Amino acid sequence: MDLIKKTNIDFVTNRGFFLRLSLLASIIGMLLVLGPEIPGLGLPRLIEPGIDFTGGTQTTVSFANTATSAEQVRGALGKAGYTSAEIKSFGKDGDFLIRINDVQDDASRVSADLVTKLNAAFSKNGEKAVILLGADNVGAKVSAELATDAAISLIIATIIILLYVAFRFEFVYGISAIIALAHDVTMAFVISVLVNKLGILNLELSINSLAAYLTILGYSINDKVVVFDRIRENREKHRGMPLAELVNLSLNETLSRTLITGISVLAALLVMVFLGGDVLEGFAFTMFTGIVIGTYSSVYVASSFLIWYTERVKHKNVGAVAHTEA
Amino acid sequence: MSSKNWGKWLLIVLPLAAAGLLLWPTINYSLLSSERAELAADTSRAGREALARWDVDNKEAFESARAGRMKLGLDLRGGAYLTLEVDVLKLIESSADAEAIDDDFRSIIEETRKATSNSDVDVLTVFLEKFRARGKQLINYFPAAELTEQAVEEKLRRDATGSVDQAMEVLSQRINKYGVSEVSIQKQGSRRLVIELPDEKDTVQMRELLQQTARLEFKRVLMDRRMVKAFYAIDAAYKAYKSGAAPVVADTAKAADTTAKDVAAADTAKKADTAKTAADTGKANDPYKGLSEEEKGRRIIADFPFSYMVFGSVAANEQSQPQQFDLVGLKVNGVTPEQLPEKGMYMFRIPAQKLQEFLKILAVPQVRAAIPAELDILVSANGNATKPGVQPDYYEVYGVAREADLMGDVIEDAYPSFDNSNQPVVMMNMNAEGSDQWARITGANIGNRIAVVMDDRVWSAPTVQGKIPNGSSQISGSFRTEDAMRLAVVLKAGALKAPVQIIEERVVGPSLGEDSIRRGLTSTGLSFALIILFMMAYYAVGGAVADVALLMNILLTVAGLAAFGGTLTLPGIAGLILSTAMAVDANILIFERMREELYAGKTLKSAVDQGFSRAWSAILDSNLTNIAGAIPLIIWGSGPIKGFAITLLIGAIITLFTAVVVTRAIFQLLIAGGATTLNIGQKRTA
Repeated sequence: MDLIKKTNIDFVTNRGFFLRLSLLASIIGMLLVLGPEIPGLGLPRLIEPGIDFTGGTQTTVSFANTATSAEQVRGALGKAGYTSAEIKSFGKDGDFLIRINDVQDDASRVSADLVTKLNAAFSKNGEKAVILLGADNVGAKVSAELATDAAISLIIATIIILLYVAFRFEFVYGISAIIALAHDVTMAFVISVLVNKLGILNLELSINSLAAYLTILGYSINDKVVVFDRIRENREKHRGMPLAELVNLSLNETLSRTLITGISVLAALLVMVFLGGDVLEGFAFTMFTGIVIGTYSSVYVASSFLIWYTERVKHKNVGAVAHTEA
Repeated sequence: MSSKNWGKWLLIVLPLAAAGLLLWPTINYSLLSSERAELAADTSRAGREALARWDVDNKEAFESARAGRMKLGLDLRGGAYLTLEVDVLKLIESSADAEAIDDDFRSIIEETRKATSNSDVDVLTVFLEKFRARGKQLINYFPAAELTEQAVEEKLRRDATGSVDQAMEVLSQRINKYGVSEVSIQKQGSRRLVIELPDEKDTVQMRELLQQTARLEFKRVLMDRRMVKAFYAIDAAYKAYKSGAAPVVADTAKAADTTAKDVAAADTAKKADTAKTAADTGKANDPYKGLSEEEKGRRIIADFPFSYMVFGSVAANEQSQPQQFDLVGLKVNGVTPEQLPEKGMYMFRIPAQKLQEFLKILAVPQVRAAIPAELDILVSANGNATKPGVQPDYYEVYGVAREADLMGDVIEDAYPSFDNSNQPVVMMNMNAEGSDQWARITGANIGNRIAVVMDDRVWSAPTVQGKIPNGSSQISGSFRTEDAMRLAVVLKAGALKAPVQIIEERVVGPSLGEDSIRRGLTSTGLSFALIILFMMAYYAVGGAVADVALLMNILLTVAGLAAFGGTLTLPGIAGLILSTAMAVDANILIFERMREELYAGKTLKSAVDQGFSRAWSAILDSNLTNIAGAIPLIIWGSGPIKGFAITLLIGAIITLFTAVVVTRAIFQLLIAGGATTLNIGQKRTA
């Protein structure tokens, strides 16, 4: 089978437009997601960091009666004294996530107590109405540490990737790759927050979901390195060819590989999104969006930035030379 | 076949053999545990016996498979995970002299708490820095035997480090006592403990266990023939309890213990006889005579549900040879407890595998009521080994006074040391009040043993050599250095009051665990199958070659993870997905290059060579970039991030091998076999 013929698509002429579009989308997305609630516009606070980063207790329960509504659960909990509990439905009908942020201690008691109280409120003829699916209790100390650890390790990893790419290619390639990576993670994050807010999937930001973003980073950097490698090779082969043309040629030559790899990985992830169950589906969804974005950014962000930056620097240098001559 | 090709075959076969070897414990473990589960499902008596036999026969194989297996994370199998932190600062605060504490001291404590609350830095170091920055002297605040700055600091350091060990010792003992199997408890960083439980239902009880304060007591050892009597009484009480008979223990005991009665009746006439004749008579009256071994064993367990586990020995004094006996044997041979020597050193032990059963029976209230009021039957905290170098295989059983003679909170310090003959010993100091009582107790019990009891388990039962007037004692015995250290840790449990806090807790219920593992595995399997089919459809023979390499990649990555003792978690699966994607990508890069070369009219051999050499730089760079990125995540990342990065690192290294070296070897073998054209899905050239 050979689906992708030799192509000669123009990827580079509109680079300025795509670069601006991506930058704008990232900024607006981040503002929207990280920004505060704006009641005037009916805009709620979108981001919901999980207890891994805020501390607190979180209990997931499953009701035997799948018709149980979040309102009923809230009512029962209010009567039991848990007035500050946040209730969120997720996954299957009758499954709820109950979060209490202001309890720091005795979480297993809270979780066990919640299940007992809910059973008392909902069970008829002594049957078990509610079962405990899971409970997490993260102390403020641990949550602060998790956040710091994640941030430190990510920053160092980014610097090392930048250095490695700069060493194997050129510094500007490293910068282009990192900018594209930042774009990929930002966009994947924005989409995840929105999807989570819409309640389609449980995509709360947790320490586990960080692994999905790391996967996006890994896949995306792989994609960029493949394109950069072709540019490096073509630069030797076609000496004197302008950079924009060189990049476009390389993008076309690697297009077949980009699409075939992308399609096979995306197909595999799609299976996990639909069949992976509560635990894998959110994970796979984040990776899926991230890989689509990463493939786009190899073409329209990393390569566009590479050309823009190189030409700007060259232009400046030319200007500087002209200046001294004058 | 040329020798060159042999090398290529080896390249393919050897790693597979290695992977098989590394994964064997995992496979064996799952085989053995399903075999065991099948046996355990049969709750009939025969089933239980078969299970017990199986456990004995397969103990070693099962243990070694369990130790070497690849572990599944909490998120994939359910269970609970707790992180505890020892509050070292509280310890420092409470060891200061209460009268010396002033506002300065309090504010230093407060500052230290703030500075250490968000990280795992050493609390004592931070405290000392802040303390010294204010020009304070430790000796003005902390009581110490030697009044030098150095001595006080050393003592604080010893207590702080010791408090984590102590918490670990106390907690592991409690957990073992509770009988939760497969609980792991590990130290993490400088002042944390991580406990993993396989069953989520245990967490509430576990929390209770963790929050108790350690109770350390000194109790007189009461070991004589009354113990044997007590064991028989327990048999009777437990049988009555099991059959749900009347609650009046003493009466029921008599009624239920028919065997004992029969034997006792036969005994009365021959009370004065020697042990030999008693044994002869016993043989004649052997109630199990003529029964098959199996039936006999069953009857013995039914008649002596408690004492069949106990083996005793008695010696006239420390020098003489102890005489062994088992309690069932005594009964069968018609020896009553009264016929046993009145004076003598009695020892009792139970096999290690009977520990839980033994403790379970002792915990029954009706059974406790059958034990004489002044006596308590306790088990040693740690197992002993019959021979040096083997696994602990028995526990000592002690009879001790029910009332404690002294509580452990009088201990001021305890530390391991060596005596004149360089044998490990434990030194122990008591406060003034404790010293007075200790002098009285030791004075009254010279030649007797006093047990060190924590949480109802005996840690040591030294013999009192003489009156100890000043509270400063030396405990010696046949222990190794680590035993001495352990005992010192336990003795200090009474003195140290470093609270333990649960700072993180994760529970995954079994229904979620089971469901997620099932769906996770199915969907992951399907995803891989999809990629494998796609590669074959798109790259034909080439795809099949790549698939072989891909399967090898997954196998080797998982084997590598198992070899490093890693745990497979959800983030680990993410790492596996990424490394698999990169392996697929490597082959796609190679095949696309090969096609380009074939379209350019190259021969198969040169197209294969060119394909590999041209794609190599891209494959190498992309995998090395990921490896470079994974390393800081392993070093600085916490739990899940680390799990992801380890799998990615192993996967990326293996990708470089399988996707390039192995596929190339297969292609070269195909060419060496005479292939001149190969279908890698390219368009047919007209």
